[in-house]
Amino acid sequence: MKYARCHDCGLLTRLPAHGAHGVVCPRCGADVHERKPQSLERTWAWLIAAVICYLPANLLPIMKITSLGRAQADTIMSGVVYLLLHGMWPLAVVVFTASVFVPLLKLAILLTLLISVHRGSSWRPVDRTRLYRITEAIGRWSMVDIFVVTILVALVRLGNLATVEAQTGAVFFGAVVVLTMLAAESFDPRLIWDRSEARNT
Amino acid sequence: MSSETPDDLEVAEAMVTARRRPSIVWLIPLVAAVVGAFVAWRTFSERGPEIQISFQSAEGLEAGKTPIKFKDVQVGMVEEIRLRDDLSGVVCTARMVKDFEQYLVRGTRFWVTRARVAGGQVSGLGTIFSGSYIGVDPLREGKSKRKFKGLETPPIVTRDQPGRHFVLHSYGAGSVDVGTPVFFRKIRVGEVVSSELDETGEFVSVLVFVHDPHYKRVSTSTRFWNVSGVQVQVGASGVNVNVESLTSLLIGGIAFEKPSGGVGPPAPNGALFTLYDNQAATRREIYTQKAQYVAYFDQSVRGLEPGAPVEFRGIQIGEVRDVKLEYVADKQEFLIPVLIEIEPERIANLDMVDPATRREGLDLLVKQGLRAQLQSGNLLTGQLLVQLDFHDDAKPAEIVWGEPYPELPTVPAPLEEITGGVQRLVKRLESLPLNEVVKSMNEALQAARDALTQGQKTLATASSLVGPDSPANSELRRALVEMSDAARSVGLAADQIQQQPDSLLFGKEDEQ
Repeated sequence: MKYARCHDCGLLTRLPAHGAHGVVCPRCGADVHERKPQSLERTWAWLIAAVICYLPANLLPIMKITSLGRAQADTIMSGVVYLLLHGMWPLAVVVFTASVFVPLLKLAILLTLLISVHRGSSWRPVDRTRLYRITEAIGRWSMVDIFVVTILVALVRLGNLATVEAQTGAVFFGAVVVLTMLAAESFDPRLIWDRSEARNT
Repeated sequence: MSSETPDDLEVAEAMVTARRRPSIVWLIPLVAAVVGAFVAWRTFSERGPEIQISFQSAEGLEAGKTPIKFKDVQVGMVEEIRLRDDLSGVVCTARMVKDFEQYLVRGTRFWVTRARVAGGQVSGLGTIFSGSYIGVDPLREGKSKRKFKGLETPPIVTRDQPGRHFVLHSYGAGSVDVGTPVFFRKIRVGEVVSSELDETGEFVSVLVFVHDPHYKRVSTSTRFWNVSGVQVQVGASGVNVNVESLTSLLIGGIAFEKPSGGVGPPAPNGALFTLYDNQAATRREIYTQKAQYVAYFDQSVRGLEPGAPVEFRGIQIGEVRDVKLEYVADKQEFLIPVLIEIEPERIANLDMVDPATRREGLDLLVKQGLRAQLQSGNLLTGQLLVQLDFHDDAKPAEIVWGEPYPELPTVPAPLEEITGGVQRLVKRLESLPLNEVVKSMNEALQAARDALTQGQKTLATASSLVGPDSPANSELRRALVEMSDAARSVGLAADQIQQQPDSLLFGKEDEQ
């Protein structure tokens, strides 16, 4: 006999034995399933899309600054290097962390979680769950970059004196952030425990 | 197995397979992959060729920031600047836009545009704020090339400017420099593009560019001259100061003019001209044929300089090229060979084209008395010129057809002739028997006195013959008076001769 908790209202229900299709919560009418349906598959899909987008996000310029007739397009890394070379290393660290390190970290964590679940690993499930929580928590902060570009584009409109334009890289960077958030969302951390408990019993 | 019940039958169990279609969520990575691939393809397909431009210095250039512009349109970007291995300059690696690839051919020029003041012009002021950029002067066709040598100074004329180039040869650059204006009737119609020594080093090759439509005024017979600075001429009409323009006074200039004679066909691009030192030089006819002769003078040639005219009866037919001094060891004497250059074309109807004919003709002329002679061209400055003329009384001579130059016979200068004449005169004077003349005159005087006393005696006798008041007496008296007058004159003349013997020849000197 299997039980499941409704995602929406939290009512504990007993699942019918024959299958998991078309099961709804008797109280609120939401779909009820034991685990998120096709969780691994969806997470893989989102993650792969994010990885694909990560390349152009870093290789293409995200922002073009035109100042006194001189146009300069910057990628994320060239911006970090620029800040470093001009002695603004605290800012460089912040930008690097938020824009390069964190997205990469999220991709790496999700990849690790997916692979470990697939292999049925029982390795430190508590820590792995913690990693998952970190991923969910920091996911949205990577959008800081996009916000900075957005604000600059809106603010710096001084005609010939200075103009800031968003470039293709920004779109891909935003896509990476959103896709990793979706990937983290579709991953069901209970799968970590399923496998490790199955081993233990 | 004794009994077979349906329950015991070995029946295969139907398998339950979850017929799952792949989740729709897989569309997301698919779309991402397609978009990513598209962006990558576009980026790479738009990625233009990479070129290398070398400069002597990277002044004003910055990797990743300095654009390459053509007509102020960005066509590339400097991506990397590094020193050459031998430290002789820098090499800029630049990424060009794809559309510009076809213009990256041999002959395409690159230079750094920065603010500069040259040739009376200020250029590139805009780069003070926006920073330097690399300018490009593309060529439409040619062999594709990826490595270029950048120009150190921007070209004066880019290829998209209509007009024509002409090459001027001159013996010195004068104040002609890159950017020096070219004038036509005092209107600026072009510039000097380059000024450099010819390969042989014999003359300066000046490349000028004349803009459209003025280049049509340059024909094959056009003359170019230098108008640098001020031209001051002192002549019979007074002082004449000529300045082409204030610009040319400051930075020099080149002017050209349609020839006064017939206008030839328009000069093609790259046509060769001579750059004259001044306008007067262009007005001299140009003679292509030159015949060089040497003439030996054995007198002072002070005042004879290369460039002095060679004249025939006052008309210039050539000029002196060189004056030297030679020592002839076996004769122990000094000779002054003067190299003269005669332009036969200056003489109308003179068939001297054929050297053989010329030789015969000259031999004949010399036989008739043609001689070279030094003459004073200017009494004030003492400048000499070489005069050719016929001297009937000259000693017979002929041309020595030697190498490297045939030798023309000479006659002494007129001044020398006068001196010679005076010397001969003095000699003749010295040979005169002056003493005898005076002696014989004295004798004559004595004889006259004797005659006078004799006469007086006769008169006394006569007076006794005729009365004191008789006509014969008065006649006689008058004759006597005249006789004494004559005797006094003879005495005076004798004195005169004693004091001034030359009065015999030149007559009595006027009394002051």
